[in-house]
Amino acid sequence: MYVRIGAGVLAAALVLTACSGNDTKPTGGSSSSTNEKIELNYVNWDGGMDKVVDDWNKLNPNIQVKLTKPSGTGYTLYNKLITNNKAGTNPDITEVEYQALPALIANQVVVPIDDYVKGLDTKYDKASLSQVQFEGKTYGVPQNVCPMVFFYRKDIFDKLGLKAPATWAEYATTAAAIKKADPKKFIGNFTAADPGWFAGLAQQAGANWWKADGDTWTVKINDDASKKVADFWDDLIKKGLVSPQPNWSAQWNTDMNNGTLIGWVGAQWGPNQLPSIAKDTAGKWAAAPLPAWTAGDTTVGIWGGETEAVTANSKHPAEAAKFVEWMNSSEAGMASLIKNVQAFPASPAGQQLPELKSPPPFMSNQPDYNTLMATAAKGVRTFDIWGPNANVTFDSYSNAFGGALQKKTALSGALDAMQDATVSDMKKLGFQVAG
Amino acid sequence: MSRPTRQYGGFLPAVLVTPAVVLLALFTVAPAIYAVFLSFRRLKVGRGLLGGGKPTEVWTGLANYTAALSDHEFWASLGRMLLIAAFGVPATVVLATVFALCLDAKRARLTGFARLAIFLPYAVPGVVASLLWGFMYLPATSPIGGGVIDYFGTKGIFFSVANVAVWGVVGFNMVILYTTVRSLPRELFEAAELDGASEFQIAVRVKLPLMAPAVAMVALFSVIGALQLFNEPTTLKPLANAISSTWVPLMRAYTDAFVDNSIYEGAATSFLLILMTVAATVVVSAVGRRIGRAR
Repeated sequence: MYVRIGAGVLAAALVLTACSGNDTKPTGGSSSSTNEKIELNYVNWDGGMDKVVDDWNKLNPNIQVKLTKPSGTGYTLYNKLITNNKAGTNPDITEVEYQALPALIANQVVVPIDDYVKGLDTKYDKASLSQVQFEGKTYGVPQNVCPMVFFYRKDIFDKLGLKAPATWAEYATTAAAIKKADPKKFIGNFTAADPGWFAGLAQQAGANWWKADGDTWTVKINDDASKKVADFWDDLIKKGLVSPQPNWSAQWNTDMNNGTLIGWVGAQWGPNQLPSIAKDTAGKWAAAPLPAWTAGDTTVGIWGGETEAVTANSKHPAEAAKFVEWMNSSEAGMASLIKNVQAFPASPAGQQLPELKSPPPFMSNQPDYNTLMATAAKGVRTFDIWGPNANVTFDSYSNAFGGALQKKTALSGALDAMQDATVSDMKKLGFQVAG
Repeated sequence: MSRPTRQYGGFLPAVLVTPAVVLLALFTVAPAIYAVFLSFRRLKVGRGLLGGGKPTEVWTGLANYTAALSDHEFWASLGRMLLIAAFGVPATVVLATVFALCLDAKRARLTGFARLAIFLPYAVPGVVASLLWGFMYLPATSPIGGGVIDYFGTKGIFFSVANVAVWGVVGFNMVILYTTVRSLPRELFEAAELDGASEFQIAVRVKLPLMAPAVAMVALFSVIGALQLFNEPTTLKPLANAISSTWVPLMRAYTDAFVDNSIYEGAATSFLLILMTVAATVVVSAVGRRIGRAR
């Protein structure tokens, strides 16, 4: 086994030298044969990813990727990666949501791939690249962009004679109209379980939670824009027009499935998740642009979105980077992602692929679903940068907003708690924070 | 004649306990010492926006401890745990004792089945039990009036969590007490019966005092169990807004270490909790001994 791996490294090094002329030192290995098989471990929790990996494995018999689903998603996975990094047991490639990448870089869990992947500047726009490039280095190939959109039960809205709200003011009046028509129904819920959801709404409102100036951070989680969002939802919750139940609970699934919740502020990937949440409602939902703060404004935030990154523990970073590049920026890879994971590519070229002409199966009634996504993607606005300890911010979000909902105190106060928790943790770790 | 045995005996016990001692040292004592070491350390990132080079570990003295002790959320989490213990421990002890005495009563029927039925929840893993109860509490899926009773309310949640915990451990404690009461000399009860004591009087005046040491032990287990409360609230957390990630001390230790990614503060919180567990153990067992002696 050792010899095989060693030979693989040598082969990889030779290939690399041949391609780029880089001076790389082969480590170990007694014989070299270009037919040696390499196995890469890849961790990702998206449904359907196994088929994408199968497609790669068929095309690359010598670089076989083995997919594993992590035991926990999001920060459960990232923190495990940070812990296991010291032990050297991480998989070669991992899925990373954009907001977690700075933390993984700060902990040296992932490595730059500039040596292996070239020309991303010509393939992606600046906004996408800013999610994976830090201090002049590239740490991943952006996979998708997940603009926030509004999902609603078209059948029920039609019956009630309602339209999808175009502005947040209309959202509030529509919420009241629904309540009046059927006191048991809600236009949606405010979820304390999803910090990324609130962050996306704050982005739309103009918030900029983190800013970098040289080596100094500016943190403004409790800025006016974020408080505007919190106050808006606070008002709806106090009036009983919006459910305070968190997403992903058994309660929420039931309510989404049985028509108690007839709207959902979600994101592009919704149709990938909804089949397991509200299976009886396939074909009954429609997506509409996210309500705007001022009519006609197309600015939206993102919720989620990921890149693949190569870990510092990988013994085959070149091959790992090759896989990442294939999956997220080659035509075949992106086509497979669209088909199997219902991803919406971050690459502008990928957004033109014919695979996007048909909607995700769950949205069969909305043939132009992906056209809507392409339009929404043009209006995406994100924070300048995600903080290096977004995990602390996100945990604090759930505690502070959950607590405020439970005790029925002002939601905007929760933003102050998040600000304090984030800044004090950054200072403790030794980051330079302005103010 | 006894001399050779003693010489031999001096060596053999040492050999026999070695595996246990080695395992204990390797997997309990050593990690605990390492955790204490970590609790005096912290992480410091390098210069640069994202911390430049590798983050380094530095000494930080008692900072992690003072941070925990001066954080009102730490005391709040302790308060919530004690509140649940105030429900849970007496409920566990009383129910287990009552069940054990009932099963031992002469008139009891179907004792085999009842014993199994009471014990069975203990065999259900804590996470499964919590999910099961969680579904019973949620309005959308509740068969026990979740739509009317707010099981996840600011006050209700304490009952809800304690209920899951008690449901899970009563059976185990009942078995301990039942075996105790079965091992008591039967002639005492016969004598009491001949003296005209009723079944209830025998249970309360004869059996219960004789069971006292076992009841004290059950109480001790329950207190330690309450200090280690983690599975139930953690599993119920995603179901509602009622439970934060630092709801009880162990959840806080977990959040520090694996969510906020500071194993150092997690170690400090854990160590504080160990000190409290030891203190509680000493107090409860001292009280138990006093009760035993008073008898």
